[in-house]
Amino acid sequence: MTLTPRRRIDWAIYATFVVLLMILPLVMDAFWLNRAAKYLVYGIVGVAVALSWGYAGILNLGQGLFFGAGAYMLAMSLKLASPTSLQQGSDKPVPDFMLWNAEPGARTELCCITKASFLWLPFQSQWFGVAMGLILPVLLALLLGTIVFRKRISGVFVSIITLALVLLVRLVVIDAQPVTNGFNGLTDLGWFKVAGFEFDPYIVPTYYLVAVSLSLVLIGARLLIDTRAGLILQAVRDDQNRARYLGFDVTAYQTFFFAVSAAITGFAGMLYVIVSEFASPTFMDLSFSITMVVWAAVGGRSSILGACIGAILINTISATVSETEGFAEAWKAIIGLIFVLVVLYLPRGLGGLAHDLVDRVLAWKSRTSPNPTRVGDTSSQLAE
Amino acid sequence: MGQVALTVDGLGVDFEGFKAVNGVTMTIDEGELRVLLGANGAGKTTLMDLISGKTKSTSGRVFLHDTDITNWEEHKIARAGIGRKFQIPSVFKELTVRRNLEVASCRNPGVFANLRFGFGAEAERIVDEVIELVGLTEEADHVAAYLSHGQTQWLELGLLITQNPKIILLDEPTAGMTQAETHKTSLIVNNLRGRHTIVVVEHDMAFVREIAERITVLHLGQVLAEGNVEEIEKNPKVREAYLGSKGIS
Repeated sequence: MTLTPRRRIDWAIYATFVVLLMILPLVMDAFWLNRAAKYLVYGIVGVAVALSWGYAGILNLGQGLFFGAGAYMLAMSLKLASPTSLQQGSDKPVPDFMLWNAEPGARTELCCITKASFLWLPFQSQWFGVAMGLILPVLLALLLGTIVFRKRISGVFVSIITLALVLLVRLVVIDAQPVTNGFNGLTDLGWFKVAGFEFDPYIVPTYYLVAVSLSLVLIGARLLIDTRAGLILQAVRDDQNRARYLGFDVTAYQTFFFAVSAAITGFAGMLYVIVSEFASPTFMDLSFSITMVVWAAVGGRSSILGACIGAILINTISATVSETEGFAEAWKAIIGLIFVLVVLYLPRGLGGLAHDLVDRVLAWKSRTSPNPTRVGDTSSQLAE
Repeated sequence: MGQVALTVDGLGVDFEGFKAVNGVTMTIDEGELRVLLGANGAGKTTLMDLISGKTKSTSGRVFLHDTDITNWEEHKIARAGIGRKFQIPSVFKELTVRRNLEVASCRNPGVFANLRFGFGAEAERIVDEVIELVGLTEEADHVAAYLSHGQTQWLELGLLITQNPKIILLDEPTAGMTQAETHKTSLIVNNLRGRHTIVVVEHDMAFVREIAERITVLHLGQVLAEGNVEEIEKNPKVREAYLGSKGIS
């Protein structure tokens, strides 16, 4: 692949961002580092939203479904790894809340303490939880995608279906108290372990786990949209019918990228559980899913890095503002105001703004340099 | 007479009692340029929809060479070798002209086969050729949304040329064009003659005279007449049904 000046600048910006992530621990204490890790997790979600909304043209208002699915799968494993799960009067781990919800006279064992508690059995292996944290969101996305996209449902109807689905699943999770601990979610979790090393949420290695994950997801997503398939996906977004009559199986493209977006979101959900030590049905609240869309809108939905930075930025601002005296009450209004201003004056978000600036610099350079470089490939991806 | 490329056999569709196309039968030879003529509502576009799979037929069959492609899914018909240009020009608006054509140059349409970078030297050569052929060299790196109406039409023609199907269906390729643009379009279409089998729906008689060999006239969903330009213009049935109606209105 040839590197046009435009592409070279893009990758330089990505590299700078990754370097910044890596040196952050030098300037932050443990408390802030843990917070930063959470925001980076949101950054990963931003990437997933940009992929599905910006590049596939699928506005998913139920992204929280995949986030929650990933989070719960890992949280189940970590719950069983928690010391309290071994103190419930059995030699095998049993979550404490199951005891409170136990069927009368049931044995204190995972197989049969509550009606569906056997579902937890394989989660005694942490890596089963990790695998399911990716597999479940992908399966849900494949199922939903195949049905919705094969029926050629598009635009706002997809949004409504995903929105309804996340609310439905949230209700089911809350209702299934004996297996999910309902409203309370899964708390008091053990630490994530790799080869004996424990990822305490307040230590630097845990921050790096998230930071490296984000870097890999960013670069992976960027490479993915630079492939031919990524270009065809954008073609499908622009005109489904045209793509169809050029011989492309539109459903397959949409479903594939929808599933990739779901996998990334599920992965983010798992990382969130590692740094915040809980999973709760609030992950599947409507407001959370909509917030994700706002991150991407502010950052720029057709820029992978833009949406990622948007997510990190909004969360940092809302944390700082909400803790500043005098703003404690007004911070939600401030976030709302930022959103409205961006939508009105920067419809392509911060990413679009940055893109225009780079274009201008390139145009200026090619005018002044004696050997003009072509400002070719002025990327289609961002223009509207 | 060459080999038959497209056979339409008793094709029809019934929209809840309204038969937009009703038992159309025709054969088109390989390399032929066929014009479909007819008044509004004669069923020209619907016939194209039926051939290209956009609308599912309720009777009759369509063959591409010897393959029965009746009611296949659109992308499968496209892959079998039928390309189509729409009445309302449709291109990939947020991609550059070059990117549009690169998409069309993709020979293997699967998702996983395309998880790789670049299109290869051969594809880029074809793309460059097509850009020149449709006269969009200046605009090659512009986003398609900024093209004029005529340029958008030519880009869509370019997509078809790049796709390189056996049969090209063109639905009013000169709709909304100025005289000069129409002339340029006829040059592009004439350039394709012989390399592809082409079926054109068109109203513009000036354009039809510039390109037509054989004309099929449709009326109320049925074939009314078939012949060369002269025969069609003299045919009394056609004059009454189509050309004549112009005189009245």
